[in-house]
Amino acid sequence: MISDSIPNASIAMASANPKEFAKKKRANRSAKLKQCKLDARREQWLSQVKNKGGCKDEVTGGAVAHGGPPLQLVTKSSRSIEKLEKIKTKCEDEIYGEDGSLMNHFSDSESLPSNSPTSHTSSVLGSNDSGLNFTASSRSSISSISSSGRSSSSSSNCFCTGNMSEEDEEGDADVEDDCLDDWEAVADALAASDKKQQQEHTPNTGSGLKNHENAIESGTQVGVGPTSANQESGGTAKERSLVNCCAWRPDDACRPQSLPNLAKQYSFPLNSERHLGGRGAVWACKNLGPTPTSCPICFEDLDCTDSSFVPCSCGFRLCLFCHKRILEEDGRCPGCRKQYEFEPLEGEAMVDGGSLTFRLGLTRSCSMITRS
Amino acid sequence: MQASRARLFKEFKEVQREKVADPDIQLVCDDSNIFKWTALIKGPSETPFDGGIFQLAFSVPEQYPLQPPQVRFLTKIFHPNVHFKTGEICLDILKNAWSPAWTLQSVCRAIIALMAHPEPDSPLNCDSGNLLRAGDIRGYQSMARMYTRLAAMPKKG
Repeated sequence: MISDSIPNASIAMASANPKEFAKKKRANRSAKLKQCKLDARREQWLSQVKNKGGCKDEVTGGAVAHGGPPLQLVTKSSRSIEKLEKIKTKCEDEIYGEDGSLMNHFSDSESLPSNSPTSHTSSVLGSNDSGLNFTASSRSSISSISSSGRSSSSSSNCFCTGNMSEEDEEGDADVEDDCLDDWEAVADALAASDKKQQQEHTPNTGSGLKNHENAIESGTQVGVGPTSANQESGGTAKERSLVNCCAWRPDDACRPQSLPNLAKQYSFPLNSERHLGGRGAVWACKNLGPTPTSCPICFEDLDCTDSSFVPCSCGFRLCLFCHKRILEEDGRCPGCRKQYEFEPLEGEAMVDGGSLTFRLGLTRSCSMITRS
Repeated sequence: MQASRARLFKEFKEVQREKVADPDIQLVCDDSNIFKWTALIKGPSETPFDGGIFQLAFSVPEQYPLQPPQVRFLTKIFHPNVHFKTGEICLDILKNAWSPAWTLQSVCRAIIALMAHPEPDSPLNCDSGNLLRAGDIRGYQSMARMYTRLAAMPKKG
């Protein structure tokens, strides 16, 4: 168990030692992260509304300046700006909506001056070519990219990941407080993906090369997933028909709240065998009755990672936030009141002979390092 | 905004939306404090509490929904599992059998069910429990009905 976790942790803790922070932060962490998640959503929405007027210019200008991502981005954004104007008020819908990617892109490029320049390029690259470039450009955090790209079938996370993993490498030097909130919120949302990744990688943690190959391979696959989710304008007829037949308009009143479920349908099957190969019981995509659209504990909407998360054999679903909180308390499933069996799969910091090891991968532990 | 507040706010909206769904329960939040709620529940029919309207006071902890809310009767009630003076309720789901999946609404439903099915083996009201354990159903029912009339029914005339 410990020998498993040390290789993972060593990547994450290359530069700093999180011991003293971790101890302090751990108690408040879940509450804070929750807070951050809410803040991030609010900010995203606000920036969207704020940008509504002038954002067309901004985006086209930005795209030209970068040279790279050109036509596709512009067309997409102008399309979704039209949508934006229809739907000023539906905050949650927008976050999960098709515009999610665009919106995140805005916030990226806005916050970039305070960020590292590297992350800028990476996000541009990401918007250009998606997964494959990610894999090539980032070095040690390949795993986090490929995993998050995979699970974030709603395209939004894709950009942030590029951003974030760069920060992973660069340490906490140039990360400023104002962007921390966003970053950490996203990091937390992605922590789930890291678990997934770790779960796959634990069997062969020993051979780094193999890991690497595995990650790159999955990266290429991811290249299919998010790309198809992203380029609606340049997409094939099949994708278009997928979008059309389901009528995923953000302004559609009957639209299900959990839009990522759609994306899940065509991005998850790619990798489902992979999950099942490992300890797939927890993450299996099989249907255990109807999936609720919101977490029965906190009543927040389930995102696509949450809705494929079935921690207990009774089939009771809940979001990862609440699952984590429950594990910190009594660890009983709210559905059947039995102890959760897969407790060690969760990210937990353990003090072991003075050295703190994180079972969970990069993003979570890094978020604790940088946040001080 | 902490998780408990967010959750209570969503429950509040849920209650507003489904007000008509369950006419036996009327759940209202304190105007200034979302951690304080009161509920009015109707005594279940075919019990000595039929026709009475009982007031419950909820005090929700910060750790809600991981910790159960504290509930007590404000209306006097003669029931083996309710303390006659303080209104404290002995109910497993308010103690160790609590699950975060429960809501304030479902707690109210559980209390209504408890009124219909008393558990005399873990009594908070010993007189009431003893009557039931001695098999004096009639004595229990008449006592309970009397207190329902006295405390839980609107005064006539």
